[in-house]
Amino acid sequence: MATHLVSVLNGLAMGSLLFAIALGLSLVFGMMDVLNLAHGAVYLVGAYVAVALVTDGAGVAAFVLAVLAAAVAGALLGGLLAALTRATTHHLDQALLTLGVGLVVAEVLTLAFGTDVHSISAPAPVGGGVTVLGETYPVYRLLVIGFGVVLAVAVYVLVERSPLGSVIRATVADRAMVAALGVNTGRVLVGVFAAGAALAAVGGVLAGPILGAQPGLDEKVLLLALVVVVIGGLGSVRGALLGAVVIGQVQALGTALLPEYASFLVFAAMALVLLVRPAGLLPARTGVHA
Amino acid sequence: MRAETEKEKEQEKEQEQEKDTVTVHGGTPAPPDPAPVVEAPDSAATAGADRPHRRRAAVVVAVVALLTAAPLVLSPYPVSAMTRMLAFAVLVIGVDLLTGVTGLPSLGQAAYFGVGAYTAVLVGVHITPDAMVQALAGLVMGLVAAAVTGWVAVRARGIVFLMLTLAIGESVHQVADTWSAVGGSNGLAGMPPVTLFGGPALLAAGFVYWWVLVVAALVFAAVALVVRSPYGRTLRGIRDNEARMRALGYRPALARYGVFCLAGAVAGVGGALWAQQARFFSPGDMGFEVAALALLSVVIGGAGSLWGPCLGAALVLFVRDNLSASIGGHGPLVLGAVFVAVVFLMPRGLAGLTGGRLRELAGARRRKENSS
Amino acid sequence: MTPLLELRGLTRSYGSLTAVDGVDLTIPRGERHALIGPNGAGKSTLFATVAGTLRASGGSVLLSGQDITSLPEADRARRGMVRTYQHSSLFLDCSVLDNVALAVQRVHRVAHRFDRAARRFRHTEAEARRHLDSAGLSGRTGDKVSALSHGERRQLEVAMVLATEPSLVMFDEPTAGMSAAETERFVALMERLPEDLTVLIVEHDLDVVFRLADRVTVLHLGRVLASGPPAAIRTDEAVQRAYLGSARTEDLFAEAEAGIEAEAEAEAGTEAEAGTEAGTGGPR
Repeated sequence: MATHLVSVLNGLAMGSLLFAIALGLSLVFGMMDVLNLAHGAVYLVGAYVAVALVTDGAGVAAFVLAVLAAAVAGALLGGLLAALTRATTHHLDQALLTLGVGLVVAEVLTLAFGTDVHSISAPAPVGGGVTVLGETYPVYRLLVIGFGVVLAVAVYVLVERSPLGSVIRATVADRAMVAALGVNTGRVLVGVFAAGAALAAVGGVLAGPILGAQPGLDEKVLLLALVVVVIGGLGSVRGALLGAVVIGQVQALGTALLPEYASFLVFAAMALVLLVRPAGLLPARTGVHA
Repeated sequence: MRAETEKEKEQEKEQEQEKDTVTVHGGTPAPPDPAPVVEAPDSAATAGADRPHRRRAAVVVAVVALLTAAPLVLSPYPVSAMTRMLAFAVLVIGVDLLTGVTGLPSLGQAAYFGVGAYTAVLVGVHITPDAMVQALAGLVMGLVAAAVTGWVAVRARGIVFLMLTLAIGESVHQVADTWSAVGGSNGLAGMPPVTLFGGPALLAAGFVYWWVLVVAALVFAAVALVVRSPYGRTLRGIRDNEARMRALGYRPALARYGVFCLAGAVAGVGGALWAQQARFFSPGDMGFEVAALALLSVVIGGAGSLWGPCLGAALVLFVRDNLSASIGGHGPLVLGAVFVAVVFLMPRGLAGLTGGRLRELAGARRRKENSS
Repeated sequence: MTPLLELRGLTRSYGSLTAVDGVDLTIPRGERHALIGPNGAGKSTLFATVAGTLRASGGSVLLSGQDITSLPEADRARRGMVRTYQHSSLFLDCSVLDNVALAVQRVHRVAHRFDRAARRFRHTEAEARRHLDSAGLSGRTGDKVSALSHGERRQLEVAMVLATEPSLVMFDEPTAGMSAAETERFVALMERLPEDLTVLIVEHDLDVVFRLADRVTVLHLGRVLASGPPAAIRTDEAVQRAYLGSARTEDLFAEAEAGIEAEAEAEAGTEAEAGTEAGTGGPR
């Protein structure tokens, strides 16, 4: 029972990270039909920022610095991607552009950090464990879960309750209409792209103590984020949250029970959802883009 | 070989015909008369209709002869590299069938390539070294894998299709990476050299090359036939206007599923050929990068045409395996830059992936060649 | 004898708005039936619901006595009910011959064959060329559709539709945007259609309607206002009131012409909605 609890907690921690990562992917797709294939590479930038700044035994300050640096790097990269993809209107071109940028970024990271597997330690004050129902569990992961909850609430308030959020939601539903109403959708789109990429990079830092950093991690993370977006419904914030929680659990339970088939289970979950709900579990309210 | 030559000739003929109208493509109302600038080379072509075809046939014969003669003059290393290019070209032909002909851009074909390769290795290790049996097994398993997973993807179109195929491809890749039955991340080694017709093992690189060349040519001819068949017409119809197809009484989802399975079978053959050359296969050979490079080959080569993507496949693999050695093993850096460059330098070409603009571009280039 | 097309209380609503409200209509085999009505009468919605592009909210559609209400568009086409679109819907990157051959090969059940090159299916190719001949397009078989003029595209669309060997053809404002000469040629083409073919036509150009139709149905606010031979419709007071609020026939024509643009706009909106509903609005 207690081991199951650990796995559920692991799943929640993973779900929190996946939500942070998948959110940008989902909104960018929902708002401008751009499939950002560099999203995994942006995540990896964050992970390597943590490798560079968070040394063994580093304190909270270094970690916070890494988060901020990753957010800035992610936002810049996101802005660049937004600018590049806006240069062409064809969706496949845009996907190929991001694919190219992703390859370049990942290769530059390999050039800089080598092909070794880097592990990143959690900041010292939260590096220990606490006892949860008789099992020792890392404090850091509990904090990640907390971060996920805070992020979910913040995004909910921002997207569902603020004026900016209503522009975002309306753009997902009908871009042409929003533009016709005189809203400068271009700036909103670039902003969302940059913010989404910043979140993915921050996710890379936060996931550092759990997943480490190594070449090829970008693909794995991109895959998980894609599956989260597909399961949740393209362009839907609530969908991304639900998808992240589901995939986090599938991933954690799979790793605990059937380690060899964990990735197969992820695909099976996606196939199952698509079989029952082709547009995802919680599609954006108007499924124009689905 | 002869049949293939004729196929290519046919294709050229079709392209000649397309060339007649490409200039007025692009949504604007067609002018009653094409611009005289365009008409000049066209009328020249009709006047001496035989000449360009004969010249093309000569080119095809020369290319085939060169490809066949290559092992006689080259050392084993470049011959092995060319063998890999041919196997990769088979994968690319399958991607082109989806992307160029049917308008479904795919990043998942590397999965079926891997399935075919693992099948060939397993058959080679446990059952028989017969190359034909292995290739056939690769074909069947690629088909089966595509049939089992494809229904998820073919319900979508465009960029969502791209996303789903990527998810499928990566999932299969990671299953291979963790599944101990296929060696996990270490891959599968120990495949004995292949044999043909119960003869001795094909140890020389040249013999393997010839075998792969023959199969690749057969696949090329088969796909060329599909493209020109009524089914190929159906696929082009789906690419151009799916709603119209439904209004004509078609069930496009069925045709899309069919071509997805077909492309999976083609990729399976490609994988089997790849494994027969390397006698080893690991998850790294079927990852995201392979899928991306296959799509890049199609884009560079010209979606919808068959020989173009084959050329693109050779080019892409050359950059990755040979050029990258001379720049410190960082081929992906170059290829990533190529992706970006292709989009910006040939924007009209890329747009042709779902329309016919790439062919338009190719036509424009041909016209330039003609006039110079 | 069972009518070819029968609508029984056909209804289609968008939320609280009922665009088509309990329409009953019977069209016998071989009849040329026109559907007219002022702006927002629900013609396009009715058309899309009958064709299967939109799903009916109530009532039923019967083709040769068989209930096809729940069948998707493709299955209706297989049973002989085909439609054209307001803006020609063709395969722009394919040749003219390919466009018609796509229809023929479906009927000949060879659309999924890949054992031979398409031109070796001689029966199919010959049939496609015959249809192009009778549409007056035999000179352009090798051209791409994107090179055709507006009028030629209309002709090609008719050839394509006839190549499906239909029992009922539904034309959605076929002469919209045509020049006078093109309209004239199109009407001549319509008059040459086989006798036993049943035609349902939505049309703004009342001149065309009264020349072609055996019977005319007037739709107003989603309901059938009147249905009968052209002569009777011309003089029907209710129809004139609905169109103009006056009883002068000459105004009917003038007003209808002027209304074309406004209505085309209004209906483009409906069409976009229809596309979304039917799930055809995939990202391009």
